[in-house]
Amino acid sequence: MLGLSQPAIRSWEDRYGLIVAERSEGGRRLYTRKQLEQLQFVKERLGEGLSAADAHRLLAEQQAGTHPIVERPTSNPPSRLLVLLAYRDRRGAELNGFFLRTEGCEVEIALTAEDAEEKFASRDPALSVVELMISGGVGRELCERLKQLRGTPLLCISSLDLREEALAAGADAFLKKPLEPTQLVSTVNDLLDQGGLMRAVAGAA
Amino acid sequence: MSDRFSSGDRHVDAVLGGGLPANALNMIIGLPGSGKTILAEQFMFHNASAKRPGVYLSTVSEPLEKIVRYGQDLAFFDARAIGTSVFFDDLGQTLNDGGLDDVLTHLRALIIERQPGVIAIDSFKALSAYATNGQSFRHFLHELAGILTALPTTTFWVGEYGREEIATAPEFAVADAIISLSTRREAERAIRHLEILKLRGSGFMSGEHAYRIAHDGLHVFPRLAESVPLETYELRPERMSSGIPAIDQMLADGYWPGASTMVAGPSGSGKTLMGLHFIFNGAAAGERGIIATLQENTTQLDRIVTGFGWSLTSESVELMYRSPVDLYLDEWFYELLDALERTRARRVFIDSLGDLRRAAVDELRFREYLYSLLQRCANQQISVMMSQETPALFGITQVTDNGISHLSDNVILLQFVPRDAQIRRALTVLKTRASRHDPDVREFTITPEGIVLDEPHSNTTR
Repeated sequence: MLGLSQPAIRSWEDRYGLIVAERSEGGRRLYTRKQLEQLQFVKERLGEGLSAADAHRLLAEQQAGTHPIVERPTSNPPSRLLVLLAYRDRRGAELNGFFLRTEGCEVEIALTAEDAEEKFASRDPALSVVELMISGGVGRELCERLKQLRGTPLLCISSLDLREEALAAGADAFLKKPLEPTQLVSTVNDLLDQGGLMRAVAGAA
Repeated sequence: MSDRFSSGDRHVDAVLGGGLPANALNMIIGLPGSGKTILAEQFMFHNASAKRPGVYLSTVSEPLEKIVRYGQDLAFFDARAIGTSVFFDDLGQTLNDGGLDDVLTHLRALIIERQPGVIAIDSFKALSAYATNGQSFRHFLHELAGILTALPTTTFWVGEYGREEIATAPEFAVADAIISLSTRREAERAIRHLEILKLRGSGFMSGEHAYRIAHDGLHVFPRLAESVPLETYELRPERMSSGIPAIDQMLADGYWPGASTMVAGPSGSGKTLMGLHFIFNGAAAGERGIIATLQENTTQLDRIVTGFGWSLTSESVELMYRSPVDLYLDEWFYELLDALERTRARRVFIDSLGDLRRAAVDELRFREYLYSLLQRCANQQISVMMSQETPALFGITQVTDNGISHLSDNVILLQFVPRDAQIRRALTVLKTRASRHDPDVREFTITPEGIVLDEPHSNTTR
């Protein structure tokens, strides 16, 4: 996450107790946007050569009001973000596409892994949703390839409980099917925001 | 055909005479909910490899989404294998868009691309609805069989066919093997049965084999009626103690190992106690024993056992308690056979035959199973004692109504006899095979040490 290793984040949580993630029912850590910003803050301090302990101390001071928190740059996101839906079934893709469109996204649908790769290269989507069962079940392989091509956010969905495997293949988030439309939309929004934040931070650096 | 295609389950393979023939075209038929998909997936996950993957194709009956969602709860369903050694695909869209012709094109491309070792089409029956007439469907079948046999591929056509369709639906003529899954109502219960209706080029176990669906796939209990190859076992010349002095005393030649003994008598006459004697005294002499009871649960039995100075925690004694309610005969016998193999027990006490008989529903099946069990035990020199309740308290005229007494080597009758304004317990050895015996009616007393024969009484009443 944010280019920080999971074990490191976990051990900071235990050690400093500052950025404590909520747990999902399945025991996975869930981070709020604020916490992501805090992690980003820690990451930047580490980048400046500070130790993890010092970075957390600074963060604690900031939270106590000693330092004003850096406001997130509210750059206007591109008007219509393109989401690529790489799905096995047309109906599912169309239905999810409908909900994403009502949220203001532009949607491109690919029904085979091959088609998805092609559209990923030609249309440059801001985010891709990969259904693991695409093309007989090669979704994880597709994720790996897309992630290699470009680091834009990747959301994996599947009826199979393959969260860990999907994340290992490069997905930034995983949702188990059947999907709640609101859950899909909010996850897509979060990933896009996070991507926007990353871009903004990268641009500011 | 020498190569066999294993299901990964020894019982399923046993029914199939060692597995399905390799590269065969197999049909799995049965009503919805009978476990067809599970069985096909079981075969697929067991045999699929990255080099020769399995391809599971759904059609227009059950959505692929659901096959996968429910499939992943099965122990053998390795979700991580999907995308490398197992592929799931949907033919439904192809069917709806371009009919059977497109299905052939799709399959041809798929076989070239993946070179699968296993292909399943589920439901296959739905395909015939896409044929314009009987002739076009036969044409499709012919083409499909051609594609599927061009490469060494084992194929499963899964469908909700009825038995009556085997004679009429043309796909059955093409199939090398037909596995039927059915459900029959017996009394208040539904009993699932697997039956092999056709298996080209191979022998198989005929008849209906009970099965249950569990989290790790189909648990099949091959019919036990198959006669056990009777290794002309030698009757060991040396006799041994039955563990019950009372019986040893009455068997002139002593008790021989591997014998089956039925203890019949009314409720409360001491049958269970006699069985416990048999097991615990055997254990004391270094012979492991199994108490297979449908009567007393662990707590109840523990109380009885402790009262006589024995202990259920003894390493040499294993308790197999099953409630007689909702008992499945096939499953019970297999559990006992497994326990015998695992513990290498020399003695087993079955309490009681009446409970088993009631669970069996089917009289003939019960006798076949019991006969098979006794034969297996005799082969392995495992001594069996079985209790059998008799309905009458006094003046017993018949021991069993199902001819089981003919199957046992020894029959011991326990009964109540009124004497001197008291009810006394008495024991008679009615039958011993290959031994002389003393046919007297002997009264006995249950003491803290167990069953003790009274001194012969001159005027014993019957």
